[in-house]
Amino acid sequence: MSKAMLIDTTKCIGCRACQVACKSWNDLPGEPAAYSETWSSPRYLSSHQYTRIIFREAAAPDGSLRWHFIKRQCMHCLDPACESVCPVGALKRLPEGPVVYDDGRCIGCRYCMMACPFQIPKFEWGKAVPLIRKCTFCAERQAEGLAPACASTCPTGALLFGEREELLREARHRLGTAPERYYPQVYGDRIVGGTSKLYLTAASFEELGLNHRGFRTDLGEVPYGIYGRAWMSKVPLVALTVGGLAVGLHYLNRRLAAVQARQGDKEG
Amino acid sequence: MAEQVKKWYPGEGKITPARVVLYLLVMLGAVSALIRLFFGLGATTNLSDAYPWGLWISFDVLAGVALAGGGFTMAATIYIFNLKKFEPLLRPAKISAFLGYLLFIIGLTLDLGQPWRIWHPMIMWNPQSVLFEVAWCVMLYTAVLAIDVLILALERFRKEKLVQFFRQIYLVLVVAGIILSTLHQSSLGALYLLLPEKMSDLWASQAIGPLFFVSAIIGGMSMIILESLLSARAYGRQPEMNILPDFARGLSIVLIAYFAMKVTDIYARGVNVLVWDRPHFFFLVELVGTVGLPALLLSLPAVRHSEKGLLTGAGIAAFGVVLNRFNVSLTSYGGYREFSYFPSFFEIIITLSLVAGGILLFDFLTRNLPVYHELTRESG
Ligand code: SF4
Ligand code: SF4
Repeated sequence: MSKAMLIDTTKCIGCRACQVACKSWNDLPGEPAAYSETWSSPRYLSSHQYTRIIFREAAAPDGSLRWHFIKRQCMHCLDPACESVCPVGALKRLPEGPVVYDDGRCIGCRYCMMACPFQIPKFEWGKAVPLIRKCTFCAERQAEGLAPACASTCPTGALLFGEREELLREARHRLGTAPERYYPQVYGDRIVGGTSKLYLTAASFEELGLNHRGFRTDLGEVPYGIYGRAWMSKVPLVALTVGGLAVGLHYLNRRLAAVQARQGDKEG
Repeated sequence: MAEQVKKWYPGEGKITPARVVLYLLVMLGAVSALIRLFFGLGATTNLSDAYPWGLWISFDVLAGVALAGGGFTMAATIYIFNLKKFEPLLRPAKISAFLGYLLFIIGLTLDLGQPWRIWHPMIMWNPQSVLFEVAWCVMLYTAVLAIDVLILALERFRKEKLVQFFRQIYLVLVVAGIILSTLHQSSLGALYLLLPEKMSDLWASQAIGPLFFVSAIIGGMSMIILESLLSARAYGRQPEMNILPDFARGLSIVLIAYFAMKVTDIYARGVNVLVWDRPHFFFLVELVGTVGLPALLLSLPAVRHSEKGLLTGAGIAAFGVVLNRFNVSLTSYGGYREFSYFPSFFEIIITLSLVAGGILLFDFLTRNLPVYHELTRESG
């Protein structure tokens, strides 16, 4: 059983208390406010901003406008691409759920940033000794039996922390009892093999214009690490084949040349 | 018997303008590298969270390794396929492969956030990571190349016993080199297997590993031709026009095979290539201009038998490999977020200085090691 978080965005009021709680728990520096066109602040996740609420105004089917507040942070994938690509094993998924990062191992190759399907890992560009930074799902708090800082702070219950199976059941229950309230999908249920962050939204991520801003809907249900693992599983065979061919051809061609030379001698 | 020469080539030891420029570039690069180390990547590069990989990965790493593919290609030609007539091309290829990897490692080191941890993959393993495998193969292969150069040095200093020893185990080195090269050349492409969603369909192919491998052979072979022609010019030697045309014929065959692979790949995945935008433009230039065209050129005997023709054909082919690596890593990746990337002054200078350093080192090593038959400096 692993822990997860159900993010019911229809309950979020955009107060951003979770952003503040995250900053203070992780001791991250504040920064001058910078708003996006839709009043989200800050504009991007960064090495000192592990989560943010994206503000979106979108038209409902009846033409009325309404606000949507979508929390973004590491999805804590069940089979994370970041873990599978890291050459030194700095990123690891704990059995309890959080995908955590080991400061002492990272070499700073940034492959995890390239590979994460949600573009989550961020780099400390400003430092001479930089590390990767991202949401930790408050692994240390969880180890103490506490809920993540954001979930403990949320005043409306939009962030529900618990067992993944139970939360999935709860999400489906909500979809079933209030279908008019939700877009009929639990984002994170199966995408890229499933994530620990499960989203309920009032509209699809396409309608919210977020499907190319961190909430892609075209990722499929296969964890991307599979491609790397499939490649790596062929390595021993390729090595043996190439090696065997090389040695074999070496002797074969030498022999052919010797035979040819002898024939040449006879004729000449 | 090699003739004893004091001067390698007429201008040896003279300070020419070209040399001055090269030395200046290397010095500028060294200073830039120090600045990069002390102030960090953010201060010196245009890389960002939206573009974690830039010029250094595209050129120093991906293109550099492919162009240094001449080492294993030549080793296979001579020792595996027993095509002994190409032997004069072997030693320069070894030298340039070794230098290629050396410079690539310097470039990569500067690109890493924590260069001093470059050895971490040796003891911290993640066997499911393609990059982990690349790290190991590159490490071992560079060691093989270093032994190769060491053997040349031993020859020069007449350590006959040691040379004899290495000759005995030489086949092991050759086979190891070929295995390691096959693996990491293709795996550099396989790095991109994990990010199809961030890449243009034109390059996001499941066949990217084999494509990288074959194009590395093209990179290696075309660089061997270019080096032979250019160093002949620089050193006032005769280029090996007795064997280069045949070698170029081999290159044209590989180019045709690669062209066929690319077309099959695009066709099998049903990608529409006839769209007018930037990636498609670069894709067509790559495929038609830098694979198809040199394949055609080098298949014409008249072109192969002229120095100019060889220079043009091999030049375009080598450029094509570089273009492909830029396309896979930058053109293809572009447009994912509302950011764009163009390398900074420091990134460009460091890359240029690596190339300049490579030329100077190549010159130094060819002058001091038994590389070209007719230019063997005896040492007493
Ligand atoms: S969202 Fe990205 S960083 Fe987070 S666990 Fe998944 S792959 Fe790793
Ligand atoms: S940047 Fe660090 S954490 Fe990310 S893949 Fe590279 S070594 Fe692993």
